[in-house]
Amino acid sequence: MTMTEIASFILLLTGAVFFFAGTVGLLRFPDVYTRLHALAKADNLGLGFIVLGLLLQTSSPATALKLILIWLLALAASATVGFLIARRARQNGIVPWQSGDRP
Amino acid sequence: MTISLAGVRATLWRSALFAGLWWALTNGRADSWGVGGVSILAAAILSLRLLPPVPTTISRIGLLRFLGFFFIQSLRGGAQVAWFALRPRMGLRPGIQEIPLRLPEGIGRVLLTNTQSLLPGTLSVELRGNRLCLHVLDIEAPTEAGVRHAETRVAHMLGLQLEQP
Amino acid sequence: MSNLTLILSVFLLANLLVALLRVARGPTPADRLLAALLFGTTGVAILLLLAFATASAALLDAALVFALLAAISGAAFAQRAWREEQAEAMHDDD
Repeated sequence: MTMTEIASFILLLTGAVFFFAGTVGLLRFPDVYTRLHALAKADNLGLGFIVLGLLLQTSSPATALKLILIWLLALAASATVGFLIARRARQNGIVPWQSGDRP
Repeated sequence: MTISLAGVRATLWRSALFAGLWWALTNGRADSWGVGGVSILAAAILSLRLLPPVPTTISRIGLLRFLGFFFIQSLRGGAQVAWFALRPRMGLRPGIQEIPLRLPEGIGRVLLTNTQSLLPGTLSVELRGNRLCLHVLDIEAPTEAGVRHAETRVAHMLGLQLEQP
Repeated sequence: MSNLTLILSVFLLANLLVALLRVARGPTPADRLLAALLFGTTGVAILLLLAFATASAALLDAALVFALLAAISGAAFAQRAWREEQAEAMHDDD
């Protein structure tokens, strides 16, 4: 394996770890707000690392640009959709969990 | 006079942007530029309709500093929430915090609201007037200091003046 | 190398399945909306990995469409579809 392949390998693996953490957060966190934290932050970071890892595997500049475009789009989508879900949840009276409540 | 000049500049910039997009989408195939040209023109006209050119001056250094800030902070944010999720005792102390913004109304506030959800420990819940309502993972973390820092970066990038809250 | 990307994409698929099962359980409509976020990130990542593992560039375009649709469908659901479905808990928390 070349150095680039090893670097790509490490980046892809790091991405998978963040996706795993996001899923664990989704399962363990007590309410929709905290679950949104897990999905918006951990999964986006995971996707970022996957994109970086794949960027090292392509030699086509158009493909590289497309990968970055997909990532930026996913970032904007997560931030916006996360905000809309949280806002609607609060408007509909879903009370945030507080430490001391039963999970 | 200056307005029309700004309009021409905006049209050219946006067309260049859409051309770059088209190039990426088609993997740089030469035979697609006939359809591409029409699409780029249509997209540029539509974008001018939907978002008319506004006289904003994006500072290049400000943009770079904002991007640097954003990437480092979102790395911290992701790592923090992953750590919360994976450690045996989660120790979450979540709550709601309201913070009066210093940014003027408009694109700056929207950008800040959107970025906050990806920064460590905060999730934007509501933006009403100048009041940003955040859900935080740790109620005792210095949330306001983080928001103030992000505000400064956004204001610097977009050339905005911060007001007193 | 393509073996690794294939393994990772299967791993992410398992992640997505578990997450979707959790999301389907709710309990609130807001929880179920999280599925839009899942497809926008995990779904896109799976498609990207598969595109490289099987050297099929068309999957990249599929990933692009997924990212776009996740944004639009999530926004549309949060703004409209969920309006009638008022949450079970109508406590006033102010």
